[in-house]
Amino acid sequence: MEIAYRLTQPIALSVQLHVRGLTVLLGASGAGKTSLLRAIAGLLPADGSPFHGIPVQKRPVGYLPQHYALFPHLSALGNVCFSIRHLPHEQRTRKAMQLLESLGVSHCAQRKPAALSGGEQQRVALARALAREPEILLLDEPLSAIDSPTARDILGWLSRTVAELGIPVLAATHDPLLAAAADRIAILHGGRIVQQGGRDAIMSAPEGVAAARLLGYTNFVGFADANLVGYQTGGVEYAGTDFLAFRPERAWVVTPGAACPEPGGLAVRVRCTVDSVSRPYASVNVRGYALSALLAPDLLSSGAERGSELELLVPEQAVRVLPAESA
Amino acid sequence: MEPLLLTLRLAAFTSIVLTVLGAPVAWLLVRHRSKLTAVIETILLMPLVLPPTVLGFYLLVLMGDAGPLARAFDIRWAFTFEGILLGSVLFNLPFAMAAFGETFRAIPSDLLDTARTLGASRGRIVREVVLPLAWPGLLAGATLVFAHTIGEFGVVLMIGGSIPGETRVLGIHIYELVQGLRFDEAHRVAIVSTAMAFALLLALRLTEHRWRSHTA
Repeated sequence: MEIAYRLTQPIALSVQLHVRGLTVLLGASGAGKTSLLRAIAGLLPADGSPFHGIPVQKRPVGYLPQHYALFPHLSALGNVCFSIRHLPHEQRTRKAMQLLESLGVSHCAQRKPAALSGGEQQRVALARALAREPEILLLDEPLSAIDSPTARDILGWLSRTVAELGIPVLAATHDPLLAAAADRIAILHGGRIVQQGGRDAIMSAPEGVAAARLLGYTNFVGFADANLVGYQTGGVEYAGTDFLAFRPERAWVVTPGAACPEPGGLAVRVRCTVDSVSRPYASVNVRGYALSALLAPDLLSSGAERGSELELLVPEQAVRVLPAESA
Repeated sequence: MEPLLLTLRLAAFTSIVLTVLGAPVAWLLVRHRSKLTAVIETILLMPLVLPPTVLGFYLLVLMGDAGPLARAFDIRWAFTFEGILLGSVLFNLPFAMAAFGETFRAIPSDLLDTARTLGASRGRIVREVVLPLAWPGLLAGATLVFAHTIGEFGVVLMIGGSIPGETRVLGIHIYELVQGLRFDEAHRVAIVSTAMAFALLLALRLTEHRWRSHTA
C-alpha cells in the first residue's frame, strides 16, 4: 500500500511510504510517528491518500494505540464484539470467538482486560481491530507495554501472524529489536521519510547518523579522528563532517595480538582500556572515544576487568562511513 | 418530620437537576478546551467563595415580585420551593462540577479515539464507553451534592425564609428551635442530621472506591 500524508498539527510532516508485510516506521521520540498513525486513522486532520475524506468511523483501518486501549469494563469477547455491533448477536459472538481463537486467546474471552497479561491484551486488541476486516493495521509501539523477555516471543508471534493475515502492517517504534523483525523499514526524521526499503538493505546501509542510531548503531567516531582509533582512511573518500559507525555486535574486544573471532579483513585494530563490562558487551575507551563491542569468547569465560588493556577489532564489512546531515 | 422530608426532597431534586444538566457541561469543559473554558470554570466556581447570603440576596432580588424574572417571564420564585431549589443548585454547582470533571478526566482519551476507529458513533461512545466508566463517579458526585444540600442554611434562609412545608428545611428548623430555647427537640433533629451525614459520606467513600477500581 502506498501512503502519502501531509500534516501540519501537532507536528509538520510530509511522508510518502510503501507499506508491505510488517513495515516498521522507525523514528526517535517526538519525530511524529504517533501523529502519522493517528492521521492515517483519521484522528488528526491531514491531507493525503488513501482514505482522504473518509470519516474516522468508516475508515478501513485497524488502529492499536500504545497501550491498546481495551475497554476496561468489557470482557475480551465484549471488546471484540464492540467493533462489529452491526452484525446480529449470534453471528457477532461467533466471529469474535473465531478471531480470539485464531490469535490464541479464546481462553481469555470472559476475562476483563485488567486480568490479562500484556501479550494477551495485545492479541485481544488485535482481534478487535481485525474484526472490522481492515485494509491496513497501524500499531503504535507494539512492544512498549511488554517486558523484554516476553517481547521476543511477541515479536516472533507478531511477524508470523502478520504474514498469515496478508494485511499490510505499519508499526511505529523507536526499538531496533522490532526493526530487526520487519519486512521493510522506513525511517522518519526531520518530518520526512529519509530512508526506506527492505530490512536487510536498510540495516546494513543506513544513509546517515540519525538513521544509524535508530537502527542500533551506537559507535560513532568523527572521520577526522578516524586515524586516532586506528582506522586506515587510505582509498576512502570522505567529507569533513562524515562519521565512522559500527554496531556493538559487529566489533570485538580481544586480548592484545589475538585473532578476530570472525573471518575477513580488519578495518580497525587498536589498543583500548575497559571502562565497564555488561556481558556479552564491554565499553572501552579508545583515546577519549567511548565505544562498545562484544567480548571475545575467551574473555567472556575468563572475565575482563575494568581498567584492563585490551584490543578493539572491527571487521572491514562492519564499518560504515556516514554523512552527518543526510539523516 | 416535615422539615426532614422537605430537606430530603430538596436534596434529591438538587442532585437530579445537577447530574442531568451539570454532567454534560462538565464533559464539554473537560473535552473541549478553549480560551473561554477558564472563564466559564471561574464563573461556575464563584458560589464556592461567595458568602451564601450574598448568593441568596442576588437570587432574592432576581426572583422577587418586582425582580427582572417577574417582569420578563412572570416567574416569582422568592419564598417558594422552586426558589430554594434554584439557590441550592447554584450553591452546589462547584462541588458537582469538580466531582464530574474529575470523573471524566479519568477516562483516557485513547479509549474514545479507539472507539471511533472501531466504527462507533459519538452517541454510542457516550452510551457504551463513557457512561459505563463514569457512572460510579457521577453517582459519587450526586451523593456529595445530596449530602451537602442537607446542611444548607444561608442561601435557603435568604431566598425562602421559613415557611413550613415549603422552605423550612432542617438547618432552619434547628436554628428556630434553638432560638425558641427548645434544646431537647433541637438535639433530636441534630442527631438525625448528623447520622444522615455520616451514612451519606460512608456511601460516598464506597462508591468512590468502586469507581477507582473501575477506571484504574
